[in-house]
Parts: sequence; C-alpha cells; structure tokens
Amino acid sequence: MNEDLLDIICCPLDKSELELDVRDRDDGEIVSGTLTCTECGEAYPIEDGIPNLLPPDMREETTA
Amino acid sequence: MGVLEHKGRARLFYKYLSQVYDRINPFIWNEEMRDEAIGWLELDGDERVLDVGCGTGFATEGLLQHVETVYGLDQSPHQLEKAYAKFGRSGPVRFTRGDAERLPYRDDAFDVVWSSGSIEYWPNPVDALEECRRVVKPGGKVLIVGPDYPTNTVFQKLADAIMLFYDEEEADRMFREAGFEEFEHHIQQARPGSPRAITTVADVPEE
Repeated sequence: MNEDLLDIICCPLDKSELELDVRDRDDGEIVSGTLTCTECGEAYPIEDGIPNLLPPDMREETTA
Repeated sequence: MGVLEHKGRARLFYKYLSQVYDRINPFIWNEEMRDEAIGWLELDGDERVLDVGCGTGFATEGLLQHVETVYGLDQSPHQLEKAYAKFGRSGPVRFTRGDAERLPYRDDAFDVVWSSGSIEYWPNPVDALEECRRVVKPGGKVLIVGPDYPTNTVFQKLADAIMLFYDEEEADRMFREAGFEEFEHHIQQARPGSPRAITTVADVPEE
C-alpha cells in the first residue's frame, strides 16, 4: 500500500479517518499493518500490501 | 410446465447464464465497447479515477490508457489476484478491498467513478450509487455499465430470478433515487443477438 492512499480512504462504516500502524514496509510500500478508525475503533488489516476495508460483517464471506 | 423442462430452452438459458456471469466475456463486453464508454468520460489525464468492482482489471487497463493511476476496489480476493498479476500490487493501480455499498473513501475524493459488470451483484444498487455520488466531487462523473433488461420473455424470467437487470426506465428511477439529476443512458451491444449492456453516464450535482 502506498502511503498517499491514506489521504482518501476512510472507515467504510462511519467514514471517519483511519490511523495507520505499520508492521512491515518494503521499499516505501506498506506490506502489512493495521488501519484503525479514529471514531469507532474498528481495525482493518493491510494484507500483502492491500488494505482490506471490507466492513467487518463481510470479511468472512468473501469467497466469490 | 417449468421453464427449464424444455431442453432447448434450458440449453439457451445456461448458455446465456454463463455468458452473463463471465464479466469480461468478449461477446458481451469487449475492448471496443469499453473504450467507447471511456471516451464518454472525456478524460484529460489528470483526473483521479476509481474503478468499483475492478475484478480482474479489464476496465482498469483501459482507464490506464488515459490516466496514470487508477484506484481499484473489489471485494473478491480471487478476482483481484488476476489484477495483481497484471499490474503488480504496487504499480499504477491503488488496490483496496471493500464493499460498493459502503465505500471506504472520503467525500469528494475522486473526479470519476467507473463501474462495469458489478452493479448486477449489488444487493442494494441505489445505496451503492449514492456512495458513488458521495465520493465524487460536484461536477465529476459516475459511469455505470450494467446488463440491459432482456427483450425476450424467456430471458426475462431468468433475469428476474437470478440477478439485477434493468431497462432505461428502471435506470432513471435508480439514478434519481440516488440523487443524480443529469444523466444519459447508452445501449451497447457487441453484435446483433448478444446481450446488451446499458451504460449510464451521470453528472455529480452540486450539493
């Protein structure tokens, strides 16, 4: 994930800003970490460089 | 008699069904149609464009011929794998997994939202259209490609049973309900007899 994505993404539930916590970085790109909503506290994972901003109720059923 | 008891009809049904389910089947939606639709956006090259339901990246690829970076959203990791293979995870496409009806982007974040072959899977299309309007700046554009409602009654029964199809009248209703005032529909078809796409280009109104 490119860090400039932070300027436009938000929590899918309440549209509030997300706080980035980087676990692993590679050549400037964020490979893994967490995005946490500053309002509701919901945490969204960054997996293999891709932020997973699916609402929590959809995270289980994404096999399509 | 059930509609599927007639073998000839059943064969047609499933042929049609498999075509509809393959989002990039060239008989339904090909590069020519895609590029024609992209042309309606009149891109200058500096727009920030979001592809909702980007899937394997067929439309994303076309959009990248006009802008440097495309933001791609999809809920399916399997569809996205093919897009990663095409563009890389950190190339010209900024990927995000997310839901069309609850977009994880801020108000007015984009100049254009594009979505092709995705609306038919949205349980509440008006909600998703409202979200598209929300994330695009006033004066920007939302372009949605969906399957046109079939004219053949047998296909209509199938259409009603499995997924969303809509005609221009229904498209008018959905876009108005989602808060759009100015929009136009284009019917696109790969060749006579093949399923038609209904492509709507909508202007995002001032608040």
